[in-house]
Formats: sequence, C-alpha cells, structure tokens
Amino acid sequence: MSHDRERIVIEAPASELRRDRIEQQVFERLAAIRAGERAGAAMPASRARGRWVPWLAAAGAAAAVVLVILFAIDRDPAAAPSTPSSIATPVGGSSRFTVGDAIIDAGSDTRVEVTSGATGVALALARGSVDCDVAPRAGRPPFRVIAGDVAVEVVGTRFTVTRTSSGVRVDVARGKVRVTGPSGERFVTAGETWSSAPTITASAPAIEPTAGATEPAASDAIDPTAIDLAVDPTEPPRPGGPTRTLTSHALFDAAQRLRATDPAAAAGTFRKAADAGRDKWAAVALFELADLERSRGRALAAFASLDEYHRRFPRGANAEDASWLRVEALRDVQRVDAARAAASEYLRRFPSGTYVKLAQALVGTP
Amino acid sequence: MTVPADDEGALIAACVRGERAAERALFRREYPRVNATVYRILGTTHETDDLVQDTFIAVFRALPKFRAESKLSTWIDRIAVRIVFQHIATRRRATLVPLESIPDPDDRIGPLADRIHAREGLRRLYEALGDMKPEARTAFALYAIDGRSIAEVAALTETSAIVAKVRIWRARRELLRRAAGDPVLAQFIGEQEDP
Repeated sequence: MSHDRERIVIEAPASELRRDRIEQQVFERLAAIRAGERAGAAMPASRARGRWVPWLAAAGAAAAVVLVILFAIDRDPAAAPSTPSSIATPVGGSSRFTVGDAIIDAGSDTRVEVTSGATGVALALARGSVDCDVAPRAGRPPFRVIAGDVAVEVVGTRFTVTRTSSGVRVDVARGKVRVTGPSGERFVTAGETWSSAPTITASAPAIEPTAGATEPAASDAIDPTAIDLAVDPTEPPRPGGPTRTLTSHALFDAAQRLRATDPAAAAGTFRKAADAGRDKWAAVALFELADLERSRGRALAAFASLDEYHRRFPRGANAEDASWLRVEALRDVQRVDAARAAASEYLRRFPSGTYVKLAQALVGTP
Repeated sequence: MTVPADDEGALIAACVRGERAAERALFRREYPRVNATVYRILGTTHETDDLVQDTFIAVFRALPKFRAESKLSTWIDRIAVRIVFQHIATRRRATLVPLESIPDPDDRIGPLADRIHAREGLRRLYEALGDMKPEARTAFALYAIDGRSIAEVAALTETSAIVAKVRIWRARRELLRRAAGDPVLAQFIGEQEDP
C-alpha cells in the first residue's frame, strides 16, 4: 500500500486460485439458473406444486409412480451428452436413477436437472430432495448438487440435499462434502447437518484443552528437518505410507496458503498447527484461527480459540491483539455489554496498548 | 468454435448464443478489473467474492440486451458498481471491517506487528468510508482508490460530473477530518491537502 498525490493505492488480491473458484461458482450458478428456467418452461402451469394431490388420490396405491419428463442419463459420464435431463417426481413418489457410479434417489415432489459430461456431474435441484450415494471422487470427475445459491460438492460420501421454500439443508451420512453458499464455504462431514437457514445446526469444532501449556520462550527453535516440503500438510496420509512429522510452522504456512481459497480447510489446518506444538507458530496459528473463524461468522468457534489462546499463551506475541479481537467478535454478535466488559479487561491488561482509544470509546472513559 | 477474447463483437455474439467457452473467455478478460474495483469499494475479500459473482451472473443474463451504446467494459463496470452500491445501501452497516481485509504478506515472521498495524489502518479507512453515505463512499472509492477519472465516476454512478465531484470532495473532507484525530488512519492514507 502506498499513497501518491491523488490516490490511495490499495492492491486488490489477485490470486488465480481465487479467480478460478469464483469462475467455477459463477458458471455453476448460471447453469443452475438456466436449468431452473428450462425446467420452469418445460413444466406446464397446471402441474404446479400442490396440484398433484388429486392425481395422487386417483393413483391410490401407485404411490411410487415416477414421472420422468425426460430421462436420458448415460451411465458413462465421460461419454454422456451435456444436454441436461429433467426428472420430476409427484407428491408421494420417488425415483432411483444412476449417473455413472452414483446412485441417486429423488424424493417426493422433486424436480432435478442432471447434466453429466467429461467435466463432471451436476444436479440442479429446483425443489424436493435427492439422496446421493457417491464413490470417493479421487480420480473421478466432480459431482455437485446445486440448490439455488448453494452448491454441494462431493468428496466421497452419502448425503441428502433438501430444498424447501425456507432454504437448503444438507445431511451427510458418510464421508464429506463441501458446501458453498452465500455465507461462504465449509466442509460437512458424516453425522453433520448444514442448513442455509439462519441457524446452522452443525456444531463448532471441539476444542480440547491443553493442560500445562505455557507461553513459548522467544527462542523456541523450529526443527527444519521435520518439515517435509514435498508433501501437502492438508492432505491425509496415505494408508501404509511413511509417517509424517509436520511442525506447527509447516502447518501454519499451509494454512496461510489455503486461507484465501478454502477457509474451511485453512481453519482445519490452523487447528492442526495449534495442536502440533507449543512454539510461537502454534500460538500464531491459534490467533489466526480465531481471526478466521470470526471472519467466517463462526463466533462461538472464534471465542473458543481465543479462550484457548489466553489459556495456553497468556503472554504470547498476539495476546494484546487476541484480547482486542474478543471485543470485536462480541460486537459482531451484538453482545454490547460483554464487549464493553472485554474492552475494560483489555484496558486493564494493556493500558498503553494499540487499541486503547477504541476501547476507551467503547467503555465511555476518557 | 473458439472466439478470440480480443474480438469483442464476436465474443459478445458467442456469449449470447450461450457458448460456454466464450463466456469463460469474457469472464477471464473482465475479471481482474471488476475484482479490483469491487474490492476497492468494499475493502473485504469475502464480500468482494460474492458481489463479483453476482456481477458476472447479471452480466451474462443481461448481455442479450447490450446495445453497444457504451464500451462493454463500461457497461460491465456500471453493473458492478450498481450491485455494490445496492449492497452497501441496503445492508446493516458493519461496525468494524473484518481484519482479513489485507492480503497476508509473504514474510510472516518479523513484521507481524506491522501487518496488524497495516490491517488496522485499512480497517479504519473502510470504517470511515462505512460511515459515509453510500453515494459518497462509492464515488470516493472509485476516484481516490480505484483511480477512475471524474468522468468515469460520473458514468459508473449514473450521475453528472459535477455531482460526482461534489461527492468525492465531501468524502475526502470527512476522511481528512477523521484522520486529524486518528494517527493510524492518518499514517495509512498519508498526508493530503484538502482540495
């Protein structure tokens, strides 16, 4: 950053990874929008939701009847046409179909557009639910479900995506998916539920207290022989492969690289860095984790990280910043009285600190 | 069919026909400028990413209506500015700009304090901008941070050059007023003379 006579110069972040991620999301959203428009155009108004009930009554025991407007899904995704196929089920009906190696159950009153090709499989869910049983994607084309502005990318799992008028819900039965929505991106793992509704039901990551940990000495050494630059610390070790010894420093660097492009993975890697030692890198990782969780709107996780920081590194290099970050995080969640109390505590601990003026303004003292 | 990204007319026509390769070429061509402009108005990468996405989706959906009455880049920038302006004008004003506003420098060992100090300066700049009227903030950011001319600011904010100039002047005056009592902000934006 610099400044000249006319201009405050601020360089915009220019990461190709970030650009690629945005590009992918733009075209996934566009595909979903266009698929929805095509589905809407193909669906006569008389078949609107709610008008199926009399049809169903007439159908009686044929509750599993499936209406397939167009079913032309090739079992070989690489050879499949890119033209989307539209599947609709009536109220009370269901449909099982396969796309490549994936088995998909469309639930009651569901409309889904399926596109498969060399670039992967995409299900655009206009309404209803799909239960997907998908093999791990390593070496296979991506598999995504797009529901409005939420995109669920499969890592290898069994999961259900439900779209209702109030939002989108993702239940993961096995494995892991990456969910991208207006509030950001996160991984949802087995047993967790993610919802686009204001309340997120997935729990914050558990923070294990570290008994007996103390502030690292300034001279804490980092063992360079323990850093294996040839491996990606964010990748799980291969079964039977060599055991890795990764320092908090190496993990911290990996987390920093991930931060702009994959905040959820960055948070997980900061967590590993914080757990990997008691040196200054573990301390900085914990502070960065709190900062990252706050920026992701995960206030509880941010508070947990700050608590842990103060417990483990009460005189750490970022102790003052962590103390002030707590004030900001409390203000984020509208806990004004608690923020004032935290600001008072900050003034008590750091009477000559960087944020004294801001703290004084908050507590109303000169 | 591959359309060269510098053949604007052919590129637009291919995009209107729904050719994905052309749409991606247009995205790649326009993204750096749109990203920079949106970021400089907002000051946070998180919101920037969302609004850049919104901009390009709006661009591709509106492209069939593009009449070439202005340059394509101006038309796209106008859509971006409109989307950002609506975002600023309708959201609850953020009390504090998130600390992740500044990209992390490569060297994270020595200058951690510097990094935090720089973040604080940028945060205060955007906090000050956040207190301004959306019209003034947008005009000032386009002019003083994104480096646009007065005429461009007027075109992008769909107003006259005189109104754009007044908005920029008011925003700058307010920023300097705040900087006078805030050494961190003053250091960040540098010494300026009131125009």
